[in-house]
Amino acid sequence: MSDAQARGGANIEFRQVGRPLPRTDAPGKAHGKTRYAGDYVMADMLHAKVLRSPEASALLTRIDGSRARALPGVACVLTHAELPDRMAPTDIPGQTGRKRLDTDQQILVRERVRYHGEPLALVAADTPAIAEKALELIAFDLEPFPGVYSVEEALAPGAPVVQGTDNVVSTYKVRKGDVEAGFAAADTIIEKTYRTQFIEHAFLEPEVGLAWVDENEVVNIRMSTQVIEHFRFIAEAIGVPHNKVRILGSMVGGGFGGKEDVTVEIYLALLARATGRPVRLCYTREDSFFGHGKRHPFTITHRTGFTRDGKITALAVDMTADAGAYVYLSPYVLLYATVASPGPYRVDNLHVDARAVATNNMFTSAFRGFGAAQACVAHEQQMDEAANALGIDPMELRRRNFLRTGDAIATGVPIESAVWSDECMTRAWEALGERPPDRGPVKIGRGVAAYQQSYGRITWLHDTSEAWVGVEMDGTVVVRSGVTDIGAGQVSALAQIAAELLGVNLTDVTVYNSDSATTPLAGTTTATRALYMTGNAVRLAAEAVRRRLLERAAREFSRELHEVDVANSIVFVREQPQTEMTLTDLVAICASEGIHRSELVMFRAPFTDGIDAETGQGRVHPDYAYGAQAVEVAVDTETGEVTVLQSVGAHDVGQAINPDAVEGQIEGGTSQGHGYALSEELIYKEGKLVTPSFSEYLIPTAMDMPRVQSIILESRSGVGPFGAKGIGEPSLTPVAPAIANAVADAIGVRIPDLPITPEKVVEALASVGDG
Amino acid sequence: MNDAKVIRLTINGRHRDVGALPNETLLETLRGLAHFEVKSGCEKGDCGACAVLVDGEAVDSCLILTWTVEGAAVTTVSGLGTVDAPHPLQKAFIDRGAAQCGYCTPGLIIAAQSMLDNDTRDPSEDDVRLALSGNLCRCTGYTKVFDAVDEAARIMREGGESS
Amino acid sequence: MYAEFDLHVPEDLDGALAVLGENDREGAIMPLAGGTNMIVDLRARSVAPSALVSIGKVPGMRGIEISGGRVRMGGRTTVSDMLRHGELHRIAPSLADSAGLFAGQMVRNTATVAGNICSGSPAADLVPPLLALDADVTLTSRSGSRTLALADFFHGYKQMERRPDELLTEVSWRSPAEPAANLFYKLARRKGDAITVVGVAVAMRVEAGKCRGVRIALGSVAPVVKRAIAAEEMLEGEALSSESIEAASRTAVEEMSPIDDVRASAGYRRHCVHVLTRRLLTRAWERLAPGGSQA
Repeated sequence: MSDAQARGGANIEFRQVGRPLPRTDAPGKAHGKTRYAGDYVMADMLHAKVLRSPEASALLTRIDGSRARALPGVACVLTHAELPDRMAPTDIPGQTGRKRLDTDQQILVRERVRYHGEPLALVAADTPAIAEKALELIAFDLEPFPGVYSVEEALAPGAPVVQGTDNVVSTYKVRKGDVEAGFAAADTIIEKTYRTQFIEHAFLEPEVGLAWVDENEVVNIRMSTQVIEHFRFIAEAIGVPHNKVRILGSMVGGGFGGKEDVTVEIYLALLARATGRPVRLCYTREDSFFGHGKRHPFTITHRTGFTRDGKITALAVDMTADAGAYVYLSPYVLLYATVASPGPYRVDNLHVDARAVATNNMFTSAFRGFGAAQACVAHEQQMDEAANALGIDPMELRRRNFLRTGDAIATGVPIESAVWSDECMTRAWEALGERPPDRGPVKIGRGVAAYQQSYGRITWLHDTSEAWVGVEMDGTVVVRSGVTDIGAGQVSALAQIAAELLGVNLTDVTVYNSDSATTPLAGTTTATRALYMTGNAVRLAAEAVRRRLLERAAREFSRELHEVDVANSIVFVREQPQTEMTLTDLVAICASEGIHRSELVMFRAPFTDGIDAETGQGRVHPDYAYGAQAVEVAVDTETGEVTVLQSVGAHDVGQAINPDAVEGQIEGGTSQGHGYALSEELIYKEGKLVTPSFSEYLIPTAMDMPRVQSIILESRSGVGPFGAKGIGEPSLTPVAPAIANAVADAIGVRIPDLPITPEKVVEALASVGDG
Repeated sequence: MNDAKVIRLTINGRHRDVGALPNETLLETLRGLAHFEVKSGCEKGDCGACAVLVDGEAVDSCLILTWTVEGAAVTTVSGLGTVDAPHPLQKAFIDRGAAQCGYCTPGLIIAAQSMLDNDTRDPSEDDVRLALSGNLCRCTGYTKVFDAVDEAARIMREGGESS
Repeated sequence: MYAEFDLHVPEDLDGALAVLGENDREGAIMPLAGGTNMIVDLRARSVAPSALVSIGKVPGMRGIEISGGRVRMGGRTTVSDMLRHGELHRIAPSLADSAGLFAGQMVRNTATVAGNICSGSPAADLVPPLLALDADVTLTSRSGSRTLALADFFHGYKQMERRPDELLTEVSWRSPAEPAANLFYKLARRKGDAITVVGVAVAMRVEAGKCRGVRIALGSVAPVVKRAIAAEEMLEGEALSSESIEAASRTAVEEMSPIDDVRASAGYRRHCVHVLTRRLLTRAWERLAPGGSQA
């Protein structure tokens, strides 16, 4: 079984791939040269601002922009009255095969305000100060309208409906095996409910773009986005053909799913067309809190049957997510949560009911982990609860239930790649070393969590990614890909792959990316798919170019193709390296003979047709990644303060393209997980955000984070290039539940609602009389 | 409001005369002069992305009114070194993989430089954490940032570059 | 930024006071020190002065002098100045500790003691240690200077003794006679750069086995930073025990009036006043009279 095999099995020795090379984008960032979307200016540029609703649920009975329009320096004021009768698509982006879900949203409020901060009007003016003054001059009346501010309120009989006909906007089910029989066979049944909170992406670069209409009537938008394919949604929202919108993506200053949906693009396009001038819209931090969908809060109940030896006999999961005021990607987040709901365990008898419910809270959408992170918060705490009840060590309990390659996951599909959950968990735990003693009121606790996280998008989206790779006359390499780089080294990884296959150094590769007009479309940078999809596309393209070039070289050397290699820009016969030529000379020969020294490839993920609506069975994703986090905490039982002393992430990434970049993702994902567990929470009171800045919404600082330890395992069993899987989302998913488990270990009682604040710790201790 | 005034600044060693209104922040002034390496993250001193050195000390440029720093020497990350002659912090950030999305990187380098120049060339781990606690990073988790600062500090102690 | 105001950047104190002297109503002309509160407030529109007077170039208002047993700190001494002053760590560790946990480096390099005190915020971190040190503040206007106890400076939530034409030019205190303990704890929702949830400063001396000059100053648990006077009186002149410390800590809770906010509930704050006051008193006493604590 491949699980037990030692890592490796690769029969080529990598020269570029697998090395911790400095990333290609690093110098620009360290020297302040990298231009983000907000760093572009154009002559005669206007500055835009958005007028937002101060109420969460209301009727807009009047809006009048005339005084604002009259202010000198104001070029344009748009309310719903000035907009074409079109809606903004909000379904999953970058898909081509399927009809879009009917979840389109009003661009500006027409009559119903559904969330605090919903845009009422747009202004474009000569300076930001004039634009801000103009906002104040827009007169409007809002009449209170009954709203619902929790899923309980939204599901109550007679509750006001947020949009459409039903506050339940999406449901999923799994019916696998026979849970009745499974529960009957159980010696112990554990049931508990876990809750998670609204989370903000808190990327340091707020949403920003610059739009202008060129001489061909093409709307160009320089944009900070994870998805350049949004040009289609924008075109439809403003009523122009798809080939009249161009997105020029910049390096993104953090995305994490928060720049996966359309943010400012449609506003920019409307204003640029209305004024005929370039328009820049840069969100303030306050705008950003209202400007993109948040992480779904989930309430998840697990009811698990175990034998006395700790084998799971049955699992029933009930999940409810707060979709907020608009649907956006809620159905997909719910699906991912459903698929991940049992965790990386073999559960033959599984019953899942999941629903996403609309409320007048801020709308929720994509965030790193995308439902699987929330599911992990529940399933990993449940395993520890069970371990406690059964008197079995928490890691041993997991070992007795981990999936193995070939077992069926929640949706009945066998997992084909390596499942190294145990190796990862064990290595992470061992890295914690010796446990320090408690000291006075400060108690030490340790916890682990394991996960199953998909990589690659839903297979019924028929995902594809295109890439172009070519060799220049001087032997340098060009890669063209629509991929957006959101900071994880997406672009550098492609360069490293091309360098590997074409036998050049990383520094000999230039990647042109992220232009919807000129770079082959790669699909979204989301869903831990960039390396899998675009890495494979680049690999295939580079392999094709390599083959053609080396075939020609082999003929030149009178050898067979397999005898020839290229490294350090020299082509040579492996067993007789003095028989060589420079790559430059080879390219010159190929160019003069009309041999194609570039290739455009489309890589296709598996295409499926969707799962059974009743049973939830069927293929959902191309593959899954497995790993674990181990955490050690110190809890001050008097004040409730939790300090994370050690945090170790161990992940089977299949094959690391750049180990430093993989570590960086593990360290960063861990940091987001720490915040998720302990300090971050968007608080809405009657739908109104009361934590609208970084003073109230607290992400970990340098004083809060221990040095994160990263353990990279490589099974080479993934479907990405060279057997890679992915790390973008997996690095975050197990962290918060590991911390929750560690805190429970420290204080002997569980706090099942995130975040675990000092106040909750004090209350929990008081409730067991340890006061 | 008062009329705009000409404010003399030295920015990365270059003398500039800038016209500024009283309510203009140093962040606005710098970006208005195409110093796009100075980033805006929150405009209220919570995130440190806008940090620059004013007379050698790190400040949040979003909290400084330009008129109040007339005559000052302002240094941004671009002024610390060049691609051919990088500052040890720049080289270390590149070599250690300490920049991911890179948006917070200029501010972090400025804050680290300020600590190394004004407080200590031999910082303890706690010193580094304290010096950088005003720079929020959402991508890196800070571990490689600590590595990079440690490496740069070592090089600077051994007589490498100073500011 | 959007807010509009006249800005004066005087080169000396007389110039600054002359402008402030024209203040015809509260808040019309406001002093600008480091700006770390003022700029945020201007942007949030929670203040709307018609003019600001920067004291950034006024000489003689920045620096820490220790002589004759008295510490004198100019009003625009920055938090970083405090941290870099080696002596301060030894003679006023609570103030140095607070300075070390104050916001982030860039704000510390800019924020001033006068600005922190005159923010009037009950979460102003320098104030509990200064209160526990029995600090005085000097207010200066065109007509002269007056010095009063910091304890008398705050009259209510954001209501302070400073008149519109005055600057806070100096903070001073007598160095506590040794042996003295001087402790500070900041409880917040994260360790770095966070608004205080409960701030506690405790100071005391021990003379002939009795607790003297005990001060308990608490921040973020009342409309103003304030001392727990009744709790102090319970301990003054006593040899402390765990019972008396416990009783004083409970009394300190009674003297405070915390609120619920996004960071914490009033109940949790009361709990932490109790726990942290007890902890710091115990630590201070054990440091000064080790083994002297009665069971």
